[in-house]
Amino acid sequence: MERQKRLFCYLMVAPAVIFTFVLGLLPMITSLGWSFLEYDLIRVQQTGTPFVGLENYKEVLSDGRFVRSITNTFLMTGLVIAFAISLGLVLAHVMHSNYRGRAIVRVLICAPWFVPPVVAAAIWMWLLNTDRSPINALLMDMGLIDSNIRFLTDSSTWGPFSVPLLSVTAVRAWNGLPFIVIFILAGLQSIPRDLYEAADVDGGNLWHKFRYVTLPLLKPVLGVLIMLLLITGIGHFEINYIMTGGGPQDLTNVMAVYSYLQAFNFFRFDLASAAGGVILVLTGIICALYIRGQLKNRDDR
Amino acid sequence: MSTMVRITNGWRGRCARAGAALAVSAVAMGAAAPQAFAQEIEFWTQSYGDLIAWQRTMDELTSEFEEQSGIEVNHELVNWSVAFNRWLTVAQGGAAPDCADMFWLHSFSAIGGDEYGPLPINEYRDRWPDLEAQFYEGSLQDVNWNGDFYGIPWRGDVRPLIYRTDYAAEAGLEGAPDTWDELVEHAKAMTVRDDNGNVTRWGFALGPDNVSQAYVPYYWQAGGLFMTEDGRTATIDNEATRTALTFIRDLVWEHEVLNPDFMERGHDPEADFQSGIVAMIGSAPGPTAPTLASDFPELDGKWALAIPAEGPAGRDAYAGSGYFGVLRGSDNVEECVQWLQFLSTPDSMQRLSEASGNVSPMRDVMASDFWSDTEWKKTITETLEHAHTSQHPSPVWNALVSPEPGAVIYDMMYEAVIQQQDLDEVIARAQERMQSEMDRAFVEE
Repeated sequence: MERQKRLFCYLMVAPAVIFTFVLGLLPMITSLGWSFLEYDLIRVQQTGTPFVGLENYKEVLSDGRFVRSITNTFLMTGLVIAFAISLGLVLAHVMHSNYRGRAIVRVLICAPWFVPPVVAAAIWMWLLNTDRSPINALLMDMGLIDSNIRFLTDSSTWGPFSVPLLSVTAVRAWNGLPFIVIFILAGLQSIPRDLYEAADVDGGNLWHKFRYVTLPLLKPVLGVLIMLLLITGIGHFEINYIMTGGGPQDLTNVMAVYSYLQAFNFFRFDLASAAGGVILVLTGIICALYIRGQLKNRDDR
Repeated sequence: MSTMVRITNGWRGRCARAGAALAVSAVAMGAAAPQAFAQEIEFWTQSYGDLIAWQRTMDELTSEFEEQSGIEVNHELVNWSVAFNRWLTVAQGGAAPDCADMFWLHSFSAIGGDEYGPLPINEYRDRWPDLEAQFYEGSLQDVNWNGDFYGIPWRGDVRPLIYRTDYAAEAGLEGAPDTWDELVEHAKAMTVRDDNGNVTRWGFALGPDNVSQAYVPYYWQAGGLFMTEDGRTATIDNEATRTALTFIRDLVWEHEVLNPDFMERGHDPEADFQSGIVAMIGSAPGPTAPTLASDFPELDGKWALAIPAEGPAGRDAYAGSGYFGVLRGSDNVEECVQWLQFLSTPDSMQRLSEASGNVSPMRDVMASDFWSDTEWKKTITETLEHAHTSQHPSPVWNALVSPEPGAVIYDMMYEAVIQQQDLDEVIARAQERMQSEMDRAFVEE
């Protein structure tokens, strides 16, 4: 009976395992393998794919464009996390409270979730187009600006920051916000109400309740959330690629966009795989830290 | 895909056995009667013009061919948005049709080598004894590579100048600019600014949103060529590059008639022209005029085409192209060649040109009433006389002119025009990078 039960369990998870292996792990392992080969599509029929060790990694890591993309990747991911979690905390409280019209507010907050990133990027690209932006038109009509803001093309910088970088970051945060809000909302709903009542008895105000009750009890949820956002942020591709293609002047170029361009525009699958390998290593480090943290928490408990 | 594979793949469950039996019979019949043809071939085309009209035309052509030859053509549409990646996959051994509407012969031939991608059909070349007489010379360059013959050119994308006649009249201009100097004057006159000095209408845009393609005709008009005829040596460190880049740089910063964001993602000159944000495009892609004529009735009589303005060395027009060819791995080469013969008759070519809105590389088609019933069509036909093929004899050409940062031509333009770096240094750097890229294609023995 026990054996049958185990067999049934294996059968149940088998499709997911097969899909993960075929569509996730296999391409990843193959790509990692290519990163140690010379795999130039233009030459492959003549030279094959000889082993070149770490040459591809040396080449991409000595390319200023790729180094810049690493900085941008972390900067944008950090900004998305900070912005989206801060706003997510506020919006989760809004969704958690009881008031008339709450259902409508919940739908509105979740709306970006219904928009695939590719579509969101195309819509925002139009909204932020220098010459056609309705936002610019509105600001101009209100007399707040006297020339169009070049949301996606202004190459002026303040340190590592620029208008395009902030614009794309905002769109990424907007698109990911519902996921974050729902995640935090689930955490909020698991906090016993009597803790807030105790805080009331102790004379705690809203800030005290948030600081000493909500935040500590949300810590595990926020930890998981930050790790997930870091992992997805490091490999993020579509919104950056569609909205700016990494420009202007590489100000929004991220590692995944660099990798894509190497493969599909310049036919260098080896360099693209090496860039992908760097993404994999960085993501792996974060995953390892996350798993270590989880294990430590379990041991502490 | 062979009949056997198709049948084996197509049948499921209880039909599988019957399918296999049929397939075996088909193979056996083929062996017994070598003259017998396969009953089906798989044929891909990209989509052109009005999708419904294109599909209807293809359906008609395939039906007529089947009636004539007994060969069924399974036509599949490939959307342009995925076409490049799909053909890249084909060139690396991915699922391929028997024959297709293809492009970028030089790159895909190099990538596929002797195993995948386009198949030379030299032994069938004599099926088209009048090819040189029937087709424009430039179009035939696009179906030959390394001495091999690959198929039949069927469409061109010749790019004339387009301008808003209402804006020109408003600015007191008559006709289109004839030279680069006139182009600057016209662009200045049609540029409009608001009270704050912000441009609300740009007088000029170089070409399509693919900025590297947009640059190419100006370089030719300045007298430059990108590489030697054997495709081995880059030749951009010259006066023509300086002239072309200076001209474009001045359009942006000195004359302020060209949007300084023209190299950024999202810049779409054709959409800007339709909405009145741009008054003139120097090198307008083939579908621009047909789209305006069919989808923008409100702009009727407000635009016109012209032969590109003359630069210091000529008025070359960018000309892209596509051809019908056969794929390596097909078991139905003979059947495909018959299909290509059918498609290359003047009647088929005429219908393909009319349905797609593309200019035809066949002289008779361009001399037909269809291509002379409006002024803009006549201008396209005239522009063909100045057409310069966009194909170059190097497999890395498409990587060189990729419209993305990191590509040689894009970076050269960006550094010279947008960042206004020292021209000599920019060009020398680009020449070195281009040569290094081109060397990728030639492996030392």
